[in-house]
Amino acid sequence: MNTELLPALAASPRAADARGTIKARHRRRLFHADLLVTVAWASVAAAVALWLADGGATGFSTLAGSFTALGIVAGLAGIDLVLLMLLLAARIPLIDQTVGHDRALEFHRKLGKPSLYLLLTHGILIAIGYGMAEGLDPVSEAVSLWVLVPDMWLAYISMALFIAVVVTSLVAVRRRFPYEFWYAVHLLTYAAVATSLPHQFSVGALFAEGTWQRWYWLAVCIATGAALLHYRVLEPVIATFRHQLTVSRVVTVAPGVVSIEMHGLNLNELAGTGGRFFIWRFLARGLWWHPHPFSLSAEPLQFDASGRGLLRITVRNLGRGSAQLAGLKPGTKVALEGPYGIFSTAARSRDKVVMIGAGIGITPLRALLESTPFTPGQATVILRGRSEQELYLGDEILDLARHRGATLFHLTGARSARHADNWLPAHAADAGHRLTDYVPGIADADVYVCGPAAWALNVLMDARAAGVKEDQLHYERFDW
Amino acid sequence: MLRTSDLPGAALQESVPKESRPTLQARTFNCMGTVISLTLPSASGEDELVAATAVVERLFAGLDETFSLYRPESEASRLARAEIKLPDTSEDMRRLYADAVGWRLATEGAFNPERPDGVLDLSGIVKGHAIQEAGTSLLALGLRGFCLNAGGDVLVSGSPGSSSVVPAGVAPGSREPWRAGIVDPEDRRTLIAGYRLGGQAGAKLALATSGSAERGDHIWTAGAGSLLRTGSAASVFRQVSVAAADIVTADVLATAIVAGGLPMLDRATDGWDIEVLAVRAGGELLATPGFRR
Amino acid sequence: MRIRAAVSAALASAGILLAGWQSGTFVEDTGSAAASTSAGTAGAGSSGSSTAGSAGAGAAAKAGGTYAGSVVKTRFGAVQVQITVKAGSITDVEALQLTDDDRKSIQISNRAAPLLRAEVLAAQSADVQTIGGATVTSDAYLNSLQAAIDAANL
Repeated sequence: MNTELLPALAASPRAADARGTIKARHRRRLFHADLLVTVAWASVAAAVALWLADGGATGFSTLAGSFTALGIVAGLAGIDLVLLMLLLAARIPLIDQTVGHDRALEFHRKLGKPSLYLLLTHGILIAIGYGMAEGLDPVSEAVSLWVLVPDMWLAYISMALFIAVVVTSLVAVRRRFPYEFWYAVHLLTYAAVATSLPHQFSVGALFAEGTWQRWYWLAVCIATGAALLHYRVLEPVIATFRHQLTVSRVVTVAPGVVSIEMHGLNLNELAGTGGRFFIWRFLARGLWWHPHPFSLSAEPLQFDASGRGLLRITVRNLGRGSAQLAGLKPGTKVALEGPYGIFSTAARSRDKVVMIGAGIGITPLRALLESTPFTPGQATVILRGRSEQELYLGDEILDLARHRGATLFHLTGARSARHADNWLPAHAADAGHRLTDYVPGIADADVYVCGPAAWALNVLMDARAAGVKEDQLHYERFDW
Repeated sequence: MLRTSDLPGAALQESVPKESRPTLQARTFNCMGTVISLTLPSASGEDELVAATAVVERLFAGLDETFSLYRPESEASRLARAEIKLPDTSEDMRRLYADAVGWRLATEGAFNPERPDGVLDLSGIVKGHAIQEAGTSLLALGLRGFCLNAGGDVLVSGSPGSSSVVPAGVAPGSREPWRAGIVDPEDRRTLIAGYRLGGQAGAKLALATSGSAERGDHIWTAGAGSLLRTGSAASVFRQVSVAAADIVTADVLATAIVAGGLPMLDRATDGWDIEVLAVRAGGELLATPGFRR
Repeated sequence: MRIRAAVSAALASAGILLAGWQSGTFVEDTGSAAASTSAGTAGAGSSGSSTAGSAGAGAAAKAGGTYAGSVVKTRFGAVQVQITVKAGSITDVEALQLTDDDRKSIQISNRAAPLLRAEVLAAQSADVQTIGGATVTSDAYLNSLQAAIDAANL
């Protein structure tokens, strides 16, 4: 029997007043989510309204004018979506804390193709519309736009870049190339947006000097650029200098799994981030340019009130980059960005909480278990691995569960051959066990799932079947 | 030379008390197929007027000799008959040709110094040029106030009260403008509008009028494949008056608007600092704010 | 909660689009007002252009008189259209107010606009010192107003 049941023991004083806060925070987060959705849609509507307010609809009186009008609308909506994509990828705290990093990037990916289609439509319809007005075929018109109209050659370059960025991001294409290649091409997005800007303001009368439309569009573009610069460049640099992280030792936890301990300053500011991830860059030769997204595997350990202390992450040898981490030398400087994501207390909506982790995905749960508020008996932790050795940090989690009053299950063993889509070990799956058998009240709990994608999807399916709603499900991918 | 009593304005003339307006003196002469009048304040003295008229007349006659297509021996006529080539012509001819081509570009073809038959015809710019040159000469003679009217195109300087002797009712160093009237193309004995030229700094000094009613032979309407003589139904304007700082601009643009219609009217008011009064074929008026009461 | 997001997004978008559309038709209206001004020009002031008439002009317009429309903001500045009605048909359309807010409006307001003869700077032949007109031939000069003036100053 490798299922271990620990009854809730000690009472934890800090969970007493958590109930009200969790509800209030949840309501606030839902409000923010709805607000963001509304603002996003409204921004697209505003882009079209800019054109309507300029009397754009009069263009439909002629056929050529109709093509041009639709082309302008497509271009406005397309660029607006591109700006939304940039904002979704800008790691803005409001977005990150509301929908989470994973879902923000999911929206970002979803918008990729529509925005490209809109921009292509924009180019084609404008060439047709302008061409008809001048009595030229679209190809000749496109050539004459390139040659004769200032800033248009930049717009063509922009279009080519957008195509390159979206094509290399298609799943099928992306798999064929290393991450670094995709990343390099993806950086061209900024060049694509920058080269598209001049023609927006210099060609066509919509954003002509002296129009309020020009100011609105300038403001939107500048705000997006400022957000990117601030949250993706300035904040990380500031965080790196503020915390002065240095590797102090690397400990092997299990075969192929190491804990990296770092000391630094002002670490009290990073407390309570359990489950959220940071992007780490180890400033050693051959490693510095590679960003590693990892969660803390323990709350920061503080030496004194000034915030000097220790941080710890636990890493399994997953890819080329993480393999090198085992060989990190003490004294290596570390740059960090974050924390990001909503795999944390911020996502809580209920009093009960269930944490289910597998493999290296167990480590963020450890930090979450350490910090998230709950009344003793209201938390359940389920750890899944092929063997006891794969339940990384299992001992620490056992101690925490005892101390805070959480129920802990260790589920070990190979997958079931008969039930391939079951997340449980073979013996439990074949016996017909479900998630509800381990956590009877799961329908009224927040469920945090962290582990390999295929396994995690099976857990999520089981949870949904048990009546857990989408906004109670918190899922962190761990197979980057 | 003219019998005053036969003239339509004569009766009106007497009904206006003389004291209310500065006294003027005028001389006229014939040239370029029309009559040129030079008017000076009386205070200038008759000798000065005679001398000034002689200068202007000599200038006009000289230019007419070179540019008239009615004189078989003129340089323009020889050029039209291709007896000489443009590079071999006088400097005046080449300069005026260059000016005319410049205006053709500026008016996008509405003003065109070439007739549909290919003959170079600078008469659309010669008179304006002659008035401009005459005005320069008059200023060089030291005249502070004058009004030069060549067949309906007017260039003024100073004020009708400009003189050392103060006429009754006019303050010294008068800033009073020259009052010009524009004839009604329907009835040439009545005026359709007035316009004040000169007087104050910044006021326009030149007023030129082109029409399709009379002597329209140097204006063609522009338009693809339909180069028509004005006076035909193609012209939307019966008469166009343009006030500008200089007479060549006023003259050329008036001609161009008659030839180029409404689009040229809008281009002209957008592109030049001018005032325009246009009379449409039906008699309705179009005017820039300067012509508004 | 997703319903709240959908509803508020739809309402906000619709509101913004409607506002854009409204101000767009505003521009169109002033555009057609300008067009009808030039139409009045073309039609000798007798073409009854119904779009130019303000609501108040309706029934009373039959009687005749001059009616001013409301002031409309265009991106060229504020414009007010005035129509003159005689015997039930519009005899004159006039842009009353053209401001010089920016470069464009100066261009626009310096454009030649249709005008009634009574509205131009008037002149009496007795009160002018020179006469402008399309080129007069030497023969025609004899009967011209300019000749009368010159003769008076001889």
